[in-house]
Amino acid sequence: MKFKEWLLERFPIDYEKFVEFNEKIFIKEPIPTHMKKWLFVMGATPLIIFGFQVLTGLFLTFYFMPSPEMAYESIRHITEDVRMGYWIRGLHRWGANLMIISLLLHMTRVFFTHAYRKPRELNWIIGVILFFLTMTISFTGYSLTYNQLSYWATTVGTNMIKEVPLIGDLMLFFLRGGDVVNTNTLTRFYTLHVMILPGIIFFFIFLHIVILRLHGVSIPEGFEEKYYSFYPHHFYKIIIATLFLLTLMSTLTVVLPPGIGIPADPSVTPTHIKPEWYFFPTYRFLKMVSLHVGIYATAAFVLVFTFWPFIEPLLSKEKRKQTIFSRTAGVLTLIITLILTIWETIVI
Amino acid sequence: MAEEDKKVNRREFFFKTGVFTALGLAILAFFRNLLLYIFPERKEKTFHKYLVAHEKEFKKDKRPKQINIGKTPVFVVPYDDHYKVMSGICTHLGCIVKWEQDKDRFFCPCHKGEFDRMGNVIGGPPPRPLDEFKVVVENHKVYVYVEDKVRSPWA
Amino acid sequence: MDTVKAQQWLIGIFSILLIVALIIVAGVEMKKSRSFKPEIEIDDMSAKCITCHEKKGIAVKQIDAWKESKHAVSGTGCYECHEAAKDDFDAFTCTGSDILIGRHPTPKDCAKCHEQQVAEFADSKHAHQFWLLKNADRAVFENPIATRHGCEQCHNIGNIWPDGSVGECDVCHAKHSFSKSVARQPETCGECHMGPDHPQIEIYLESKHGNIFKAKSAHWDMNYTSKQGEPIPLEVPVCTTCHMEANETQPLTHNVSARLAWESQMTWSFRTVWNEEELGNWQKKRERMEAICSSCHAPDFYKTYLLTADLVNLQYNEIRRQFVYWTKKLTKNGKISRLEVNGKFYSDPVLNGWDEDPEHLMYYGWHHEGRRFRMGAEMMGADFTQWHGIWEVQEDLMEVIKWAAEHGDTEAKKIAESKHPAKFITYALYDMPGNAWGIPTKTNTTPFVYNNYPDYWDRVYKNVEAAYQRGLLSDEQWQIWLDRYENKEYYLGNKFSNSPVVDSTFNVYKKRNEYDLKKMKEQVIDLVLPGKSFFKGRKF
Repeated sequence: MKFKEWLLERFPIDYEKFVEFNEKIFIKEPIPTHMKKWLFVMGATPLIIFGFQVLTGLFLTFYFMPSPEMAYESIRHITEDVRMGYWIRGLHRWGANLMIISLLLHMTRVFFTHAYRKPRELNWIIGVILFFLTMTISFTGYSLTYNQLSYWATTVGTNMIKEVPLIGDLMLFFLRGGDVVNTNTLTRFYTLHVMILPGIIFFFIFLHIVILRLHGVSIPEGFEEKYYSFYPHHFYKIIIATLFLLTLMSTLTVVLPPGIGIPADPSVTPTHIKPEWYFFPTYRFLKMVSLHVGIYATAAFVLVFTFWPFIEPLLSKEKRKQTIFSRTAGVLTLIITLILTIWETIVI
Repeated sequence: MAEEDKKVNRREFFFKTGVFTALGLAILAFFRNLLLYIFPERKEKTFHKYLVAHEKEFKKDKRPKQINIGKTPVFVVPYDDHYKVMSGICTHLGCIVKWEQDKDRFFCPCHKGEFDRMGNVIGGPPPRPLDEFKVVVENHKVYVYVEDKVRSPWA
Repeated sequence: MDTVKAQQWLIGIFSILLIVALIIVAGVEMKKSRSFKPEIEIDDMSAKCITCHEKKGIAVKQIDAWKESKHAVSGTGCYECHEAAKDDFDAFTCTGSDILIGRHPTPKDCAKCHEQQVAEFADSKHAHQFWLLKNADRAVFENPIATRHGCEQCHNIGNIWPDGSVGECDVCHAKHSFSKSVARQPETCGECHMGPDHPQIEIYLESKHGNIFKAKSAHWDMNYTSKQGEPIPLEVPVCTTCHMEANETQPLTHNVSARLAWESQMTWSFRTVWNEEELGNWQKKRERMEAICSSCHAPDFYKTYLLTADLVNLQYNEIRRQFVYWTKKLTKNGKISRLEVNGKFYSDPVLNGWDEDPEHLMYYGWHHEGRRFRMGAEMMGADFTQWHGIWEVQEDLMEVIKWAAEHGDTEAKKIAESKHPAKFITYALYDMPGNAWGIPTKTNTTPFVYNNYPDYWDRVYKNVEAAYQRGLLSDEQWQIWLDRYENKEYYLGNKFSNSPVVDSTFNVYKKRNEYDLKKMKEQVIDLVLPGKSFFKGRKF
């Protein structure tokens, strides 16, 4: 008691109000009953994983050195020499993969339950932005390992930016810090990966959640409008998800430990280069058509996808028809994405 | 009824204790692993033999022999049938001592530290005798044990 | 599932699962993909040499090699080996310095630390001066300049230096890394032990030992330290394993002659007497070799194997006796002559005459083919025993006899014109019932000597017994031979050769053979082309 008084004197907040606020915002947060279903936990999963990524990423910076001479060697050092190093790296690497998987699942769920509809259009857009930010942070992170595959993925990947109209060349020059992938590229990617992108992502996550809280969780069709409070039921759910994810990522790390590959060699391009699996659909698509068509088509798709909540009402006035349009578009996108991914996976 | 309630309560208590102990342990295990990661492993030091002299070098001349191990000056001092090998770095403030045959002593010019043939302090400020190497004689060759180091950015 | 209680259960279960996962995580060891070289302490003296050499770019790779060596780690720098006194034969002041150094560190320098190894080496036949003591004057037949990089390069292993020491350690321990794995590599021995006159490396590579080595050794650590009392760390032996290295019972030795029982490179195969005082007689040396064999093989196998090889050596002598007989006789009768200048002979009809065919053939029969015959048998080189060995030796002997016949020797003429198969066997035979590889069933039913000489095995018995009584075979070997002799029907496989199971198997192949021959005749032998010969009808 004494300590509390001592502290409140020096940190004069209204304690009663604080407790009340805490109760209202967190402990008693009204959660719709459908959230008891595990299917609807996919929104919290990326958040939990993002937390792990921040933690493990921070730990990786204890040993990682972003220079062409030392990047690969320091990753080898972390993986092979440092106690638990392979685990931290494994968590980070599997975390990246699981984060993208869970985002895809989350988006699929949101899309098919039409949770993006008015008045939640902005949150959909923010979500899509978050998804692309996650892809970008994964790409920059992958480049940091500086092995043959990641080096060439970086070279090829950054080259595409050139195709962006008007500012493409400038953007490429900015990203690479020069005409080719070099020392500057690595430090730039490092800064992007550990400072800038996490900062931006953090901001958008914050926005995403604030908007979510202001609207309240959308209730899908067929569920009644009943609520329960955040604590303890949903709180436990988060704990379980956290424990499960950590167990899953640790197990995956033991079974499939992160490799270190062959050191990057700017003079030799490997025979088979592939980006990480989440770029497979785009990669496959770009291989099928000319670069220009590919990039513009991809950009068009991204735009439609991002602004779907506003496009949907333009297609029809009827809710029923909108739903049919959306379902068709969603299923088609899913199928095409799956086909392209599987195709790229099995074709060398 | 009250009895029943108590029983249920007790069972409930044990159950909860069990669950949250497990959770606590899991969190502890997680942080233990994290801590192991942060603190680099202290490897046990290993040593290799380093040739410093042949016994026959001292047949005629019992004078301490100076050689360098890397950049460290080292003195090999024969006595009786043994050898003492000492670092030439003064234990006071790290200057290099030199052997003065006429005075039968090691002398440090910086603060006039004096050591006898066996490295004991006989004058001046040095706080302790000269540092010694572990010596082994094999086949008339005098070796000292030198710490293993590797050429790596992580040593 | 939705109750708080159920969720608490889940928390408990996942906590425990996580603990298990984290414990496993903590227990996993990652494989290291690289190891770091030990840091070396370069002493002042070496640092001086290295700085200057690197600045001037002289023999820089040698410095790199030294840095990889154990010498570098243990404080043996440049000067420890290259130290020189003013009147040393190889002393010179290194350019641009006032350091007196020795250009050629000799075994004497190595012996400063590796005394035992140098002494053992000097006691081995590697250090022997045989090629100078009883040599052909190479300059007669091969140009001196060729011998510089020919004979002299290999035989430098036994060089006698001006300081009196003998040998050249870096022939095997390539300077300046002096790597054990390089010294151990069979190809290191094969630098010299190869080619037509002593193809040990080819024999080794033909053997099962060599084949397995080639197939599997890429990832073996060949840099191990061989110590008495420890098992051989290789799956199959390399050259050094049998001839030098330690095993459970044998010490490591640099005396490659300590385990050899024959002088099978010589004109005649004889039991070695090399430093008998210290190394013991040939039987003692053979025991050492057998002790190595026993690390991997059962005595039954290697004793039989070696006895067979011994009998090959003895058999060689009998053929050799024929060569000597004919060349001596031809010399005596003035058919062939020795090279001579001012009363000094430059050829020897029984060693190295090259100007007449019989001498030439006999040289081959010993120095090339005769060695291949014997060494192949000793080291599992079947093809070297057979086709590169006995077949060629025998062919050369027949050539000598034919030559003698053509030059009027009546005895030779009689042999040459004989129609009896025994014309090829003008000498006594050794043999042993069966072999070390198994029990054959049909193999021994065909040989001419078995079928035409009822006293064949009595003759062989007497020959082997005579060799035994001469001390060329040990008591134990004689017993092994006797055991086989007494059970020869079993070991020769004759006991089984007519059993129904063997016959039924054999007949399958017999039929196929008949069919093969029939088809060969049909397909090609009986084919007559309509086109005429281009030679026929040509006007001369």
